[in-house]
Amino acid sequence: MEASLPEAKALILCVDDEPIPLTLRKSVLEKWGFAVLAVRSGAEALAMIERQPVDLVLTDLLMPGLSGTELAREMKRLRPNIPVVLLSGVNEIPEDAEAADLFLSKVEGPVAMCNKISEMLNRSRAKSVSG
Amino acid sequence: MAAPALEKLREHTGGYGNLTDAGEKVNILMVDDQPAKLLSYEVILAGLGENLIKATSATEALEHLLKKDIAIVLTDVSMPDIDGFDLAEMIRQHPRFQKTAIIFISGVHLTDVDRVKGYRQGAVDYITVPVIPELLRAKVSVFAELHRKRRQLETLNRHLEQRVAERTEELRERADLLELATEAIIVRELNGTITFWNSGAEELYGWRRHEAIGANIADLLRTRSIDGNADWQAELLANGTWEGNLLHITRDGREIIVASRQAVKAENHGSPGTLLEINRDITSKLQTEEALRKAERLAAMGRVAGIIAHEINNPLEAIINAFYLLRDHPSLDAEARKYARLGEQELVRISHIVRQTLGFYRESQQPTSVPIAEILDSVLELQSRHFQVNRIQLEKLYQADCHVFGFPVELKQVFLNLIGNAVQAMPDGGRLRMRVGEHTDPRTQVRGIAISICDTGAGISPEVSKRLFEPFFSTKAAKGTGLGLWISKGIVQKHEGTIHFRSVRTSSGGATCFRVFLPEHGPANLMKPSVIASDSGTRSNGGKLA
Repeated sequence: MEASLPEAKALILCVDDEPIPLTLRKSVLEKWGFAVLAVRSGAEALAMIERQPVDLVLTDLLMPGLSGTELAREMKRLRPNIPVVLLSGVNEIPEDAEAADLFLSKVEGPVAMCNKISEMLNRSRAKSVSG
Repeated sequence: MAAPALEKLREHTGGYGNLTDAGEKVNILMVDDQPAKLLSYEVILAGLGENLIKATSATEALEHLLKKDIAIVLTDVSMPDIDGFDLAEMIRQHPRFQKTAIIFISGVHLTDVDRVKGYRQGAVDYITVPVIPELLRAKVSVFAELHRKRRQLETLNRHLEQRVAERTEELRERADLLELATEAIIVRELNGTITFWNSGAEELYGWRRHEAIGANIADLLRTRSIDGNADWQAELLANGTWEGNLLHITRDGREIIVASRQAVKAENHGSPGTLLEINRDITSKLQTEEALRKAERLAAMGRVAGIIAHEINNPLEAIINAFYLLRDHPSLDAEARKYARLGEQELVRISHIVRQTLGFYRESQQPTSVPIAEILDSVLELQSRHFQVNRIQLEKLYQADCHVFGFPVELKQVFLNLIGNAVQAMPDGGRLRMRVGEHTDPRTQVRGIAISICDTGAGISPEVSKRLFEPFFSTKAAKGTGLGLWISKGIVQKHEGTIHFRSVRTSSGGATCFRVFLPEHGPANLMKPSVIASDSGTRSNGGKLA
């Protein structure tokens, strides 16, 4: 199952206020071959993108402080080229979800999640190469 | 005649006169062929303050009579050509003058007195010559007052007639209002016999007036009390009034709830006579309230479902991820990995159920591309237990890859209603055939997807067919809200689609086919989503790393 990207591993910034889901999600992503940074809040995430060459942000929707959509909006303002994926336990798409590039349900499972993240990264890379 | 007596007479008549139009003068016509006499009468009568008109012949007198309203004719008996009696005769023949007072002035001849007595009807008097001024004044005055009074009475009469006409009109209008009232207004005798039935009652109950009047109200409307109002009739008789809700059955067999106000109308001698009732149909109001309560309950349930889904999904994701990491973990032996895989499979089932059962609430505001077959299959999955229990055979004829633009949760609701109805129509087994395919509306040339759902249930009766898409109409008694098809139709129309059905009933069974057409373009005037990858599905695997 393990595979590596043709170039360097993509760096994913994983944001969630709950430690156990965050740890497990990080492990899953790493197993799929991504490099992962895990932070516990939107504020930490915004600080992290200043220091690390993050390729994609995967954030929980409902968090204390900055919510997932607020973080997405802030990201679009600061770093519009970094795709933001919203991950939520709610079954519906929130009305302000358009701030993010993709909305995922938490229970779609690890395979679907990783597939969609890869797809998103490919699209983003293609855009930056052509653009 | 003595002066005090005359004064008294004048006072008397004047007293009445005050009741009448005091200032109104009456016309007195004086007829004599001798102008000197006319002049003397004028002098005598001037003090009365009436209008004095002079005529020197009967012919001239008649001319005045025709032109003016004359109260009194004062005429000399002996005149050339036409004498006083002849003039009186002429006057009396005319219907307008039959009440005109006539005073003859003549010498005292028995014959004259006899002739005067001949005028038994009408105001007739006579004065002998030589004329005593007071007497003449008194007699004229009496007749003048009489005339004034009569005129006053006539006016009063006219007023009264007008009042009566107005009042009649008022009553007629009120009666019209009773008729126009949307409320049923019914009067019945103590034994229940209906004596009045307005058009509101005709409208509400369907019974025509001639059918209702004479019938017994309890038999006709099959009145039943609700909410512990069993003693309402006793209460009505004891208190004289009663207010509350009652159950009635209409002519076409519908059960309706009416807000009823009733009153006992007592007869003159105090014993109760008739009963008046005014009934208003509040069935739909109550149903609307009930539907609102249901909608509120659903909304509250939706919120709770959302919270529960969220609370379950968060740890569920962690556990799924944990099992995913476990199942291929190098430190585990084959048996342990198998257990991890089994655990993972079961978790997928849980996440599926959570999405299916707790996912029915607020729809995203933006329409997306909806895979029809997937939606149908998810509904079929929810109903799968019924297919087994009811022994229903399923036939699926799907054309590949049918998508429409729309709201997936709402469309799912439509198919959940249609498939749910089909399943309920086949409690003893049957066949459910579902067909999905591209279709172009032959009338509008709009392209889209047609979905047909056919069951071999009992079929739909023509009476039910007519009302099938009405709100609150249900054949499932307490089990149905009566809103399913109504809501479904609303959703389909919102997608600019159409919904039709066809049903047959035979002795050996029936069949019902619902057909929904949804245009590809979906609801008009709605923005397409810009970034949400809602058609995500699982088709994409381009970026898969492993």
